[in-house]
Amino acid sequence: MWGPVLVAVFYLQRLAVDARRQHRTWRHLAWSAASAVMTTALLVLGSLLVYLFWYVGMWWMGVVLVGFGIWPMIASWTIRHVLVPLGAYRIAYYAAFGARPGKDVPAYAMCVAAWALVYDRTGKGEAWVASKRDARVPLGDAEVIATALMAVARGDLDIARPLMRSALLLEENHPFIRDLAGEWLAVDAAERGDWKQIADDGYAAAWPATPLTFFLEGVASRKVGAAGAPGTTELWFRWLAAPHRFTTRHLREAAVPPPPAEPTAAPAEEPELVLPPEKAPLPRAISAHLAIAQRVQPTPTALGATVRAWDAALSDGATHSWLARRALELDAPLGAVDRALREVALVVTDDLARIADAARLGSPASHGPIGDALGRRLRHGRLDALEAGFNAWAARKDDHVSKRNLGAARAPIDEWREFIALRDAYAAAVLAGGPELRRLAFPHAFTTGSNMAAWLWNQFHEYSMSHAISKWLLDEALAVGDTEAIELGNRNTSLYVRTRMNED
Amino acid sequence: MHELKLEDNPFFVLGIAADASRIEIEREAQKLLGMLELGFVDAQTYPTPLGPRPRTAELVRAAVAALRDPYRRLVAELWARHAPPAKPAEPPPPASTAGTPGLRDKLGWGR
Repeated sequence: MWGPVLVAVFYLQRLAVDARRQHRTWRHLAWSAASAVMTTALLVLGSLLVYLFWYVGMWWMGVVLVGFGIWPMIASWTIRHVLVPLGAYRIAYYAAFGARPGKDVPAYAMCVAAWALVYDRTGKGEAWVASKRDARVPLGDAEVIATALMAVARGDLDIARPLMRSALLLEENHPFIRDLAGEWLAVDAAERGDWKQIADDGYAAAWPATPLTFFLEGVASRKVGAAGAPGTTELWFRWLAAPHRFTTRHLREAAVPPPPAEPTAAPAEEPELVLPPEKAPLPRAISAHLAIAQRVQPTPTALGATVRAWDAALSDGATHSWLARRALELDAPLGAVDRALREVALVVTDDLARIADAARLGSPASHGPIGDALGRRLRHGRLDALEAGFNAWAARKDDHVSKRNLGAARAPIDEWREFIALRDAYAAAVLAGGPELRRLAFPHAFTTGSNMAAWLWNQFHEYSMSHAISKWLLDEALAVGDTEAIELGNRNTSLYVRTRMNED
Repeated sequence: MHELKLEDNPFFVLGIAADASRIEIEREAQKLLGMLELGFVDAQTYPTPLGPRPRTAELVRAAVAALRDPYRRLVAELWARHAPPAKPAEPPPPASTAGTPGLRDKLGWGR
């Protein structure tokens, strides 16, 4: 009887927070009231039972009942404020079993243990948590989030961030675990000062919100001046409901909305790269090149201006005449002028391609020795890199067969990480290369992705992972308008995805 | 990967003008090698449009060898003559104040 009542209490609290987040005040009040009634009923019923046991002389039974009844109420606090800071991953794992009602409690326990690894100084916990994770197949959001938390414990934050976020792609949904992931992402973004990211996540309600996430979302939406940002009083209430109030009080105080924008002010535009007009084409090109090379974040406008400056400089008659004259004066060998121009073009293209790749910029529309070469270099380089990535992904099937022959176990998380890395590389290449590159890259992605999705579904029952791949392929097929791929994608994504949360 | 000929341009390494004669180049190289041998602080860096760079005896010898070859000198001149003036050393960038360092740890999410 206790279990269903606890489930109801936990879910009512969640529904109340979600309703508040979506600015549904009446629903929030209704869910909060229902939660309060249920909690009170639980406490009254528990007290009555304890009294009854004490009255009939079974006081020890009353003590057991108090333990079972109270632990779920205080477990979250104990895990967060005692077990995790102590790095007691094993105790946290077993303590978490009584902390959350509902299906698949071991998944929550595993993630709590992975969280405690962050403070484990022995360094032995990762293998222990990894063994718990590897014993769980097929892959779901819990395994991905636990792996991301292990990366956090190692200090690999650049790996942890996309991995944590990738859990959203999976069909299997453990709300209590996504709570943790959402909170980690919000706290991490707050540490980096990326308030826009927190505000965007809050607006999209991408993750279920814990009280701390809810407070940080409030701070973020005030800081970025988002519509519907909480007022001072509401932010105070959010702050009071969240843990670590002493630490977060300065965030509350600093959450001052930006001044309203002047209605007559022109929208902020990217500053145009200004080249000194008095300079000859070649010095202008070199100056522009140095300027873009020293920028922290090169922009498409700056890259376009640099490429155009180089195209003008290398096609300029004055540059050719100067080179020819100096070649004669220096007694340079025949063909030295053309060779020097080719060498300069090669050096410049290499350097601009490096800058464009690092900043994920597309090729600017400029026709000349640099513009054309850079366009070819970027398109081919990006397509080649993607093709190599997809080939490596496809090779995992063969690799798996040879590993199985050697008796090695398959690690689903490795396949997921490979897919996520490839998907991110594809997205970056498409962002830089535009629709043309997307159309060229999609057929290879579709062939390899479809094969991998079918292999994972049929051979290993990795339903969530396979479904995520099919969903991504369908989105891409819709973007490029590939009818055959859309049809197959619709068929694949409409299949029923069995997860631990929806099976009986 | 090819690199822009600005950081290790022979004219910048030797600290001479792009129209220097062969005799001037050899003389400057000998002077710099002697100064580097004696550990003169002034000789240990050279200005470039990208900021100061460390100068070594190997770089000086490679620069002289490059300027003896007419084709390599032509390319070096092309860059050195048209490059913007050398830049002094930049002060270190100010520390970022956008975020809250240590917040993750204080909120129980790791160091």
